[in-house]
Amino acid sequence: MSRPHPAPTPPDLYGRPRADRYFRFMERMMGVYLPLTTARDGYGRRPAAEERPHRLTVARRRMVAEDVVSLRLTTPEGRLLPPWQPGAHLDLHLPSGRQRQYSLAGDPADRYAYTIAVRLIADGAGGSAEVHRELGEGDRVTVRGPRNAFPFAGDRAVLLLAGGIGITPILPMAREAAWRDLDWRLVHSGRTRASLPFADELDRLARRHPGRVEIWADDEHGVPDAAALLARAPEGAAVYCCGPAPMLDAVRGAFEGSGAGALHFERFGAPPIVDGEPFTLRLRDGRELAVPADRSALDVLRADNPATPYSCRQGFCGVCKLRVRSGAVEHRDRKLTPRQRADGEMLVCVSRAAAGTCLELDV
Amino acid sequence: MSKKAAVRKKPDEHDDLVLTPRDVRFDWARLPMHWVPDEPTATHVINVLHLLLPEGERWFVRVFQQTMPLITDEELRERVLGFTGQEAMHAEAHQGVLDHFQAKGLDISPYVSQVEYLFHELLGDKSGLSPRREREYLIERVAIIAGIEHFTAFLGDWILNAEALDRVGADEVMLDLLRWHGAEEVEHRSVAYDLLCHLDPSYLRRARTMVLAASALTHLWVRGTRFLLSVDPELGGSLRPGWREAYRASRRGLLPSPGKALRSASRYFSRRYHPNQEGSTRQAIAYLGASPAARAAAH
Repeated sequence: MSRPHPAPTPPDLYGRPRADRYFRFMERMMGVYLPLTTARDGYGRRPAAEERPHRLTVARRRMVAEDVVSLRLTTPEGRLLPPWQPGAHLDLHLPSGRQRQYSLAGDPADRYAYTIAVRLIADGAGGSAEVHRELGEGDRVTVRGPRNAFPFAGDRAVLLLAGGIGITPILPMAREAAWRDLDWRLVHSGRTRASLPFADELDRLARRHPGRVEIWADDEHGVPDAAALLARAPEGAAVYCCGPAPMLDAVRGAFEGSGAGALHFERFGAPPIVDGEPFTLRLRDGRELAVPADRSALDVLRADNPATPYSCRQGFCGVCKLRVRSGAVEHRDRKLTPRQRADGEMLVCVSRAAAGTCLELDV
Repeated sequence: MSKKAAVRKKPDEHDDLVLTPRDVRFDWARLPMHWVPDEPTATHVINVLHLLLPEGERWFVRVFQQTMPLITDEELRERVLGFTGQEAMHAEAHQGVLDHFQAKGLDISPYVSQVEYLFHELLGDKSGLSPRREREYLIERVAIIAGIEHFTAFLGDWILNAEALDRVGADEVMLDLLRWHGAEEVEHRSVAYDLLCHLDPSYLRRARTMVLAASALTHLWVRGTRFLLSVDPELGGSLRPGWREAYRASRRGLLPSPGKALRSASRYFSRRYHPNQEGSTRQAIAYLGASPAARAAAH
């Protein structure tokens, strides 16, 4: 980014025929400041970073609905775990190398264990099947986190909507709403009663807080209508919704017409790649990296260099922008202007190239 | 460990948020010149943000992108990446307001070219430094950003609570931009500071860059307000910029209180400081769920 010739000091703001005095002063100050403040090797002398615990043990395993297993994870030494808040999730690194994120369903006040629940998805990519098949009591698992992509604000009035396994982040929110004495309602919906996990916990909450918890089984009541669900929101309430994609879409669609005031749901990063073809990236050092049809150029660049910048992974923020030296880019972003595209800029998080072609990147 | 233990953190603050940019859009077609009605001074004091931020936040992104190879903590790296995406979106949103001003005949280009000079030249990459000095200069700029982020979090907290602006009928779209931005500033207020502590926890560096950031920001703000009042086509130079007018607006809650800003800045010099103590993440999250722009972005 450094420019070959330093630009001249900008002119005076009000058109007086001289360089701006403040910026003249700042230039002179930087002439002294920069040598003084870059002499000490601060980076070389920094202390080592703290390690977070990342190997946990499955302390207990139980079935909490048909097809749903709940795991209680603790440190092997029984140590205190980093704190978390409702909506947080844990990254599980499975023995096969698969990585999956699971919401924490336990009680944040329990500082010695994390509880997750995993529904077996028969035709899924194999992560849930691996958890169900491979992880037994006493087994070790590598985790990262917890981190929170679905934070709970503890608004005065809340409606909590959970679809099926989507109850996992919602359950801690309900507990917090109860102890904070908020005006809250919870609706848990699913195909059948037997398919709904954590029925015993919800039952306990329902008995302690009459009129606040509702179980909606499709085979008894029919598939719920989003407007009917939202109608349960206290006036101006914040809605927290977690469930399958069609449920989220329906709630989002019906939100504007409801009396609710805010809508929260877990936001996911990269959307799946549609109609991708395999192509090649050539780097400045001459190396070639193959981009398979089902991965983005960014994924491949990150695997090669973890320091590769990116952010939204959806083609709108522009942080991953790179310059293309040669090759035809298939632009899929929502950010670059025609001019930027003509100048060879590319957002590697979403944009690609035709099958078998090569993009030469300036990186 | 002993150093960390001295830092005070609020126990019920969300400290582990996954930060992601939101693809917001704003329509300025109906924005009046004085979007705080009959308050040109208050309007233009806040408008200085639109002059400083597009270039300033793009500079944040460039600096933070360069720190990637220096970061050895995976989780911090992800937070830094989320931060850069949010800052990039802030820059674009404020750029939209700038373009609208230009189109409405408010000629801000002299000031904007100074801001460009500040962030591209004065604080831009320098050639001819040794690799070690280049790295230290990068960290010095991270420290300056951490200082600025203390103020953006302060302003974010202020705008989220500035009910007086609603009462006087300030433009709703502008308020949504400022509050969406403010909420994200509160949401990510610890990132620059945590990055600085990761790269160099030296107190001296933190303190001196705060002095630099605070004094430069104050100066740029005052001259920016003066400049905007002088080029405002609807005023035609009739309103003389004055402290009394600004002070009166702050007393009415239309601008942040200078006393509170000063006290907030002084907390940055405490050995037990952490950005987590300032503002409320819960309030920021609540606003992001209610903001028309942020909600429309979440598709």
